[in-house]
Amino acid sequence: MKRTSLSYHIIKNVLLFCIALFLVIFSVYYYFARKTIREDTRENSVYLAKTTINKIEQVLTLAEKNPQIIAKMLEASFVSKDSLVPFLKSMLSVNDNLYGSIIAFEPYYYPEQGMYYAPYVYRQDDSICTSILGDRNYEYFYMDWYQIPKITNKPYWSEPYFDEGGGNVLMTTYSVPFYKDVNGAKTFSGVVTIDITLKWLTEIITEVKILESGYAFLLSRNGVVISHPNSEYIMNQTIFTIAKENNQPGMRETGRRMIRGESSFQAAEFRSAWKPGKLWINYAPLPSSKWSMGIIYPEKEMFASLHRMNFILLVLIIIGLVSLSVVIFKIVSKLTSPLKDFADSARLIASGNFNVRLPEIKTEDEMKELYNSFSFMQKELDEYMATLKETTSAKEKIESELRIANEIQMSMIPHIFPPFPDLSQIDLFATLKSAKEVGGDLYDFFVIEGNKFCFAIGDVSGKGVPASLFMAVTRTLVRSISDNVHSPSAIVESLNRSISQNNDSNMFVTLFLGVLDLKTGELLYTNAGHNPPVLIRKNGETFMFEKTKFIPAGLFEDFKYGESSLKLESGDMLFLYTDGVSEAENVQGDLFGEHSVMQIINNNINARPQELINIMGNEISAHVNGYTQSDDITMMTIVYNG
Amino acid sequence: MNTTLIMSGDYSVIIVEGRVDTTNAGEFEKEVMAVVESGSEKIILDCSGLKYISSSGLRVFLIVHKKMLAKKGCLKLCSLQPGIKEIFDISGFSSIFSIFPDKQAAEGD
Repeated sequence: MKRTSLSYHIIKNVLLFCIALFLVIFSVYYYFARKTIREDTRENSVYLAKTTINKIEQVLTLAEKNPQIIAKMLEASFVSKDSLVPFLKSMLSVNDNLYGSIIAFEPYYYPEQGMYYAPYVYRQDDSICTSILGDRNYEYFYMDWYQIPKITNKPYWSEPYFDEGGGNVLMTTYSVPFYKDVNGAKTFSGVVTIDITLKWLTEIITEVKILESGYAFLLSRNGVVISHPNSEYIMNQTIFTIAKENNQPGMRETGRRMIRGESSFQAAEFRSAWKPGKLWINYAPLPSSKWSMGIIYPEKEMFASLHRMNFILLVLIIIGLVSLSVVIFKIVSKLTSPLKDFADSARLIASGNFNVRLPEIKTEDEMKELYNSFSFMQKELDEYMATLKETTSAKEKIESELRIANEIQMSMIPHIFPPFPDLSQIDLFATLKSAKEVGGDLYDFFVIEGNKFCFAIGDVSGKGVPASLFMAVTRTLVRSISDNVHSPSAIVESLNRSISQNNDSNMFVTLFLGVLDLKTGELLYTNAGHNPPVLIRKNGETFMFEKTKFIPAGLFEDFKYGESSLKLESGDMLFLYTDGVSEAENVQGDLFGEHSVMQIINNNINARPQELINIMGNEISAHVNGYTQSDDITMMTIVYNG
Repeated sequence: MNTTLIMSGDYSVIIVEGRVDTTNAGEFEKEVMAVVESGSEKIILDCSGLKYISSSGLRVFLIVHKKMLAKKGCLKLCSLQPGIKEIFDISGFSSIFSIFPDKQAAEGD
């Protein structure tokens, strides 16, 4: 596994959380900021449109006053025919925006003037000139500026036009009809016009600035571009021709609405070939001239400030996250630095150095708890080791004592074979293998009265130290009793009496004791509850001794034991054993059994004493197959060579 | 090793199951002696489930036997499996214990 530090995990998780939080906050903020900016910009543009329209209207309505006044004056016959031209001249001289003015009369309004009479005052260079218009070549009655007010009976603003004679400036003409009262009826008498330059108009429109490159434009009643930052459009294009050239149905639709005099203060999406990207438009008509003004601004610029802010915000957040990481790393490193020391200490403690110095903890937090646990563990380990040492030494002491006890016990039974090199009648071998350090089995043999061979094999109930003590007592008693008494039953009875007295622990010993007359081969024996031995005749016949009816020694003080006799022939062999042999157990719980004992004896009928015991021992080992020895195993073979 | 006590007529019947060896002879002794000391005059040890007995186990049987003799009660063994009977025979214990082939026989005697 890749090793990662704790601070890495904390920083990773905290950062992920912070980034997620930031994204959520930023999205919400961005959504509302956009909405607000869009609304603010729209309001700003609407305000701009209204103020601009007002400015234009102010000029236009002021300009309208002059011809209207003249019309009124004419209707009231307030001015004479001769004062018309001087009047117009003085009007032009005080108004720089006026380029010219005509008073055009109906035919024969002044009979002396004939068909045509239309005095015209106009600027040329710096002076004001006069001419009288109207002749066969210039039938002004059919001009728009004359005919339209005449038919509609309303003042009329003409479509703007370039005045080729008057300095190539953009002009428009305002015509007001005037009437004469003839027999109580209002009769159309003519038209008063003024030509007004639109230079100021372009100036006003150019002044409109919104955002970085937002602009205003003006359309005439027919959709002709009157004012636009792109001067190529002016008077050359209509909104419809532009829309058609650029295949913009949306623009055409907007144009239609504008020339219908509609206004839109709900910003609408707009595309222009002149300005790339998404645009927004507001428009409103000019009440007097029925022109329409539009204000356009690009969406990109609308949010430019927001994007700039976002960038700043992003930089700040990155700086913030980086410093947060640094701070977390410092804090976590500071907090967890003792952990590494603790790990080192733990390793040292594990290697056996319990008194290793623990890292110093000044805070009162979990580290302190860890410190306390560690020092507690140190203390406990130290104490435990001390106790362990004590117990181990005590155990070693007991073990060494037991070893000595085992040696003493073993020294109590004969273990030099052949035991009687001088005694040709007897060939003998015996083994004793304790299940624990000391055991409760015993065997013994000795010569009494010079020609009698006494032997015994026994098994004390239980095992271990109690059994071994009981065994030692039994063996000593057997030896001392047989100094005086020579019959097996008497020996066993005497032994039984001795060990039954005060036998509170209720231990007992099974014993097979025999006395063999070396001369005659007569065997007298008593079996006190012991496994019956096997007799192997020289001729190969094998017998198991009959089961005993006598109980083990140590149970009832007054128990009467009897004895049996048997005649041994030269070459006969006795095989004696304890229940450790017949009850040797393997891991499945199967016992070795008496039948195995008999079978092995029958298979090795000519084996020598030691040989038979070795074979038996091997067979037992094979049966047990490594399973713990549960009981002492003792075997003894005696061959009588009479 | 496991012991179960049931009452059957006048008899406290202790059913012994499994093995009684050096390792659990002490425990076995405690359980059986508890019945003896509870005042039971007549005890049957039902050995039908007894698989193995070591000399330590025999010692416990003997202690119980002696106790019952002392208080003039009676201890009977019944349903010994052949292997167990063999051990009792070999050790001569058959001659000091009252052994019956089954529980009915033990109670009927």
